[in-house]
Amino acid sequence: MSVGTESLVTVTATINGEPRTFTVPGHRTLLDALRSELGLTGTKSSCTEGECGACTVMLDGHAVNSCLVLAAEVDGHEVLTVEGVSVDGGTDLQQAFLEHGAVQCGFCIPGQVMSAEYLLSRNPDPSVQEIRDAMSGNLCRCASYNRIVEAVRQTATKRVSTRG
Amino acid sequence: MVTYYKAHAVADALEVLGRTDVEAKALLGGTDLLVGLGDRLDSAPGVVVDLKGLADGEPLAVTESGVRIGLTVTMADLLADPTVSTWYPALAQAAGEVGSVAIRNRATLVGNICNASPACDTAPALLVHGAQVRIASAAGERVVPISEFFVGPRATTCARDELVTAVELPRPVPGTGSAFQRLTRRWGVDLATVSVAAAVHGDGRIQLGLGAVAPTPLLVDVPAGTDLTDRAALDPVLDEVLAVATPISDIRAGADYRAAMVRELAARTLRAALDSTRRTQA
Amino acid sequence: MGDALKAQEVGTLRPDGNVGTRTKRYGGLERASGAQKYAADLDFPEALQVAIVTIPVGCADILGVDTSEAEAMPGVVGVLTAADLPSPMPRFGVSHKDRPVMADGRVNFYGEPVAAVAALTQEQADAAARAVTVDYRELPGVYTLDAALAPDAHLVQDPSDPTKRAGDPLRETNVIEEQTIAWGDLTEQEAKAALVVEDSYSYPMMTQFPIEPLAVIAEPTDAGGLTVYTPVQHPYLMQRIVAGLIGKTLTQVHVIAPDPGGGFGGKQIPKYEPLMAFLALKLDRTVRLTLNLAETTTAIRRAGAKVHARTGFSAEGDILFHHVVIDYQIGAYADVAPRVMTKGSYVGGGPYRLPACRIEARAVLTNTPVSTAMRGYGAPQISWATESQITDGARRLGLDPARVRLRNLVDNGEEFVQGEFAGKADGEWKEAVVKAMELAGWDDPLPPNRGRGIAVGIKSSATSGLSQSLVRLLYDGSAIVYAGTSDMGQGARTIWAQTVADELGVPVGKVQVISGDTDLVPFDLQTSASRSTVFMGTAVLRACRDVRRQVREMYAERVGADPGDIDDEPGALLTPEGAVTLDEAARIGLGALRGEVLGQGTCRLEGRKGHPLGGDASFYEFNCTISEVELDRGTGQYVITRHVSVSDVGTELNPIQVVAQEEGGAIMGLGQADMEQLVFDEHGRLLNASAIDYRVPTYKDVPLELLTGSVENHDGPGPYGSKGMSEGPILCTGAALGAAVTAAAGVKVTDLPLTAERIWRATRAAAEGAIA
Repeated sequence: MSVGTESLVTVTATINGEPRTFTVPGHRTLLDALRSELGLTGTKSSCTEGECGACTVMLDGHAVNSCLVLAAEVDGHEVLTVEGVSVDGGTDLQQAFLEHGAVQCGFCIPGQVMSAEYLLSRNPDPSVQEIRDAMSGNLCRCASYNRIVEAVRQTATKRVSTRG
Repeated sequence: MVTYYKAHAVADALEVLGRTDVEAKALLGGTDLLVGLGDRLDSAPGVVVDLKGLADGEPLAVTESGVRIGLTVTMADLLADPTVSTWYPALAQAAGEVGSVAIRNRATLVGNICNASPACDTAPALLVHGAQVRIASAAGERVVPISEFFVGPRATTCARDELVTAVELPRPVPGTGSAFQRLTRRWGVDLATVSVAAAVHGDGRIQLGLGAVAPTPLLVDVPAGTDLTDRAALDPVLDEVLAVATPISDIRAGADYRAAMVRELAARTLRAALDSTRRTQA
Repeated sequence: MGDALKAQEVGTLRPDGNVGTRTKRYGGLERASGAQKYAADLDFPEALQVAIVTIPVGCADILGVDTSEAEAMPGVVGVLTAADLPSPMPRFGVSHKDRPVMADGRVNFYGEPVAAVAALTQEQADAAARAVTVDYRELPGVYTLDAALAPDAHLVQDPSDPTKRAGDPLRETNVIEEQTIAWGDLTEQEAKAALVVEDSYSYPMMTQFPIEPLAVIAEPTDAGGLTVYTPVQHPYLMQRIVAGLIGKTLTQVHVIAPDPGGGFGGKQIPKYEPLMAFLALKLDRTVRLTLNLAETTTAIRRAGAKVHARTGFSAEGDILFHHVVIDYQIGAYADVAPRVMTKGSYVGGGPYRLPACRIEARAVLTNTPVSTAMRGYGAPQISWATESQITDGARRLGLDPARVRLRNLVDNGEEFVQGEFAGKADGEWKEAVVKAMELAGWDDPLPPNRGRGIAVGIKSSATSGLSQSLVRLLYDGSAIVYAGTSDMGQGARTIWAQTVADELGVPVGKVQVISGDTDLVPFDLQTSASRSTVFMGTAVLRACRDVRRQVREMYAERVGADPGDIDDEPGALLTPEGAVTLDEAARIGLGALRGEVLGQGTCRLEGRKGHPLGGDASFYEFNCTISEVELDRGTGQYVITRHVSVSDVGTELNPIQVVAQEEGGAIMGLGQADMEQLVFDEHGRLLNASAIDYRVPTYKDVPLELLTGSVENHDGPGPYGSKGMSEGPILCTGAALGAAVTAAAGVKVTDLPLTAERIWRATRAAAEGAIA
């Protein structure tokens, strides 16, 4: 390799189901690339050190902090952001958030939605304690925590019964 | 500027990491390396060598004699593996305490030990499980006991032209139990103020692994035969064996509190390890 | 309150209406789907990115700033230093115009801007900011209250500078303002006391930690003015301050305030906006500054405090006197901190019937980042001491601490502050205590290592204010309401939509709410002090009633009726022929040209000169909190097993939003009680700006059981008898948790936060004391 001359890297990845190609400096995080290069500002930037969870996305189906992933690392991989999980009128989970008063200032909510969807994909019927454990990397300063737990519980119950 | 380089094999990674004309850093989960990378580009590495695509990288492998944990194995992988949680409860418990779900989906065991934080969550467990660290270089491969791997805060015996390729854990002798506990400032995701792993081995040895109470994680032996159920008898024994701990005062805790807590957690963790041997025997 | 609504005007809830129901949050779906545009989400393709240059100490004289290397770096378009600004340095503030746009020859706190670099990319700006050389000489800054109050202390604000503190008798000290409130005879009451409790308390500095970091975009306009995009709680104050600094009219400064991602008081007063305004004008380019969370933590904080208190009790548990001395640690500049001190200390006696009381308070300058408003303002600091004193008194007298409070609490209409500027209870506060006791199972026995604690808190809401609103009823029966309140999470837009829907008979989904734009929306003084429901709510209500009056007149004229024969009610006109829906009446009244009906409403409350609060409180927030913990004696750690928070809300306009704010305030209060603190080193550097070491509650730190309740007597001054409620649950959380810990551990901890380490130390010290 010729180090020092190839600091830009071209990334081709599946973003929300669509193939996308973009070129970024080597240090550019996935978070910044989503927001700046791809205009996907639903993923929020806050602590930029993996502590707050506002930038949570799914990478190949796994929840990750997009501030701690280099954009270059997702070349050839699949990324799902809040824009990719949303539907017109809101998903059942997003509607449950509203019904239970979980959305206050809202800044952390896209990250909360992603962590909750990830949890439900792994554990379709989580207990309150399991939700608290699984989502404790997503800070909410409005402290809607119990509101969100209720919303996730309700969504789980509905989804399980629909499937059942 | 940082150059991103995706290595395709161990030898390829070693070649780039070993170059002297550029500052190269190995990238696994990135949960330590990438913290604030964009904010400190002046001190950032020149090349980030991504090791997640090595054709000859090892997976998580279970054999009759133990478990081999390759360099890309994440905390989430460890938690999902039934053998790891059966044979190495302390490691499974420690891996479950590393960061959040999203962090555990990225953070690797090898990355965790190579970062070599004195408060590294998995190190105390690896110490009591008798882990061996496989280190590759252009010259070949060497194996280092985990107790010799850490040489200081953020420093290991792995040189810049070397690469940790796996951590190996021997299969515990029958009747072994282990446990991990740590003290944090809040109940949610946090760094350890003090952490302790304990193993009560089936052959009678009793060991403690200690985190955040010295420049490196420590391994200490508790005299075989010590009654772990009698706190009054245990405390003076612990005072003696824990004298090697040299905790500091920092923003997370005072030195005296750390010293007291390492004893408290040691007593509790030993008891939990003992209880886990009884569970496995039952 | 002023010209606020008279009782017959406030209206009653419609049984079939939206107000009083769990109407979903306005803008909630956009927030949940990521479509909501916060300030940092706005796209300015041509904008330059900005990095701020600071020095790594809290107090220093600046000897020189060399920008030559930085200016030559790739992508750099310009650098702003103090030399680029008018002389003397422009300064801004609310009560004191003391804060310079950037450091004026001296850095007075860690993080104070010395220069700002604008470049094509953020990386280039950051690199160039590192290349700016600042030559400075560190000074012996004062970073703690003790240091600032020492006899030979370094003075944070130079008394020889005629522009600062001229004529101020305190100018040779670091005290920027002081206030004493006293009534009754302390000595006389002390002679009667069976018990006197005396103790010292501390309350650390904390940060608001809005999850949305600060962000500012300043964009020059063709007219020579500026558009400033910033997620602030007070866009009109921002407009006034920026216009004043750059010498423009209000029409030339357009402030667009996207809904903040949390404010909690930290986004009220300008921080970087003035600097960004000068930078944009200097370069004639759009400039953009986006901070991260740690940088935001460095920029905004709440005042810490030290308190000393003496409190006397009769053997039966009557509080006979309370003498409290409090120093608030504000920062290098005033911001709103003097008012934090005056408003906080005004309620320092608590909501009690006190024969004698003396509250001495000071706001003390230190070389620390500028403190500002935060949920609860100055009340949590003093309540921590006052309520801990009451708990201690009850404990030592062998009395039930809840019943001691009930015994001493004032009744509705009774004075808890006596004298010229008396404060009177404006609600049935004891009901909140009784309800909290019921929810908590106050009299139920507890297992070993458990403890339960109770506290009460009060806070004065706004003492002056002005809110103006416009409501447009469109021809098709939809409506638009313009309300300058900032919706930072409290759900203001939802309340306005509910109100307009009910008053005009419009489906709530057909009401649009416009906020956060000084060009479009009429004036609102500010979004603070839990005022909006009362002040803006009243303005919106009046605008709706203005629409109804106009519809009535237009309809009467059109159909040839006598307007006196027609009455109106929410959503309808009542004619002799029967009811006509308002939108139908409006269409008839508007006729063939269509058009719309434009109503306006104003709510104004003038302050009162000389009053320690600046005027009589529009209402008080009252809260009772009960906390229950289970203690681990070996480590000092504890689990909050149950937490109860009950506030007097007047009327719940949206019960789910009330629950969310009540829970959110309680959890924020618990974070401040059990883990939060900013720590500075001996150079005034903030050691824990990062979210790794500034701890806030997570899901797992929420009490195992969190129960909230409301007292609703429909006795508030706001629409439908409402009161503000978003600060109540944070007022006394520290004291309630502290009392629970004391009950469980048998020791009293007087410093917050109540960390495991502190409890462990206190129990160990007590054990050693018992042995010795």
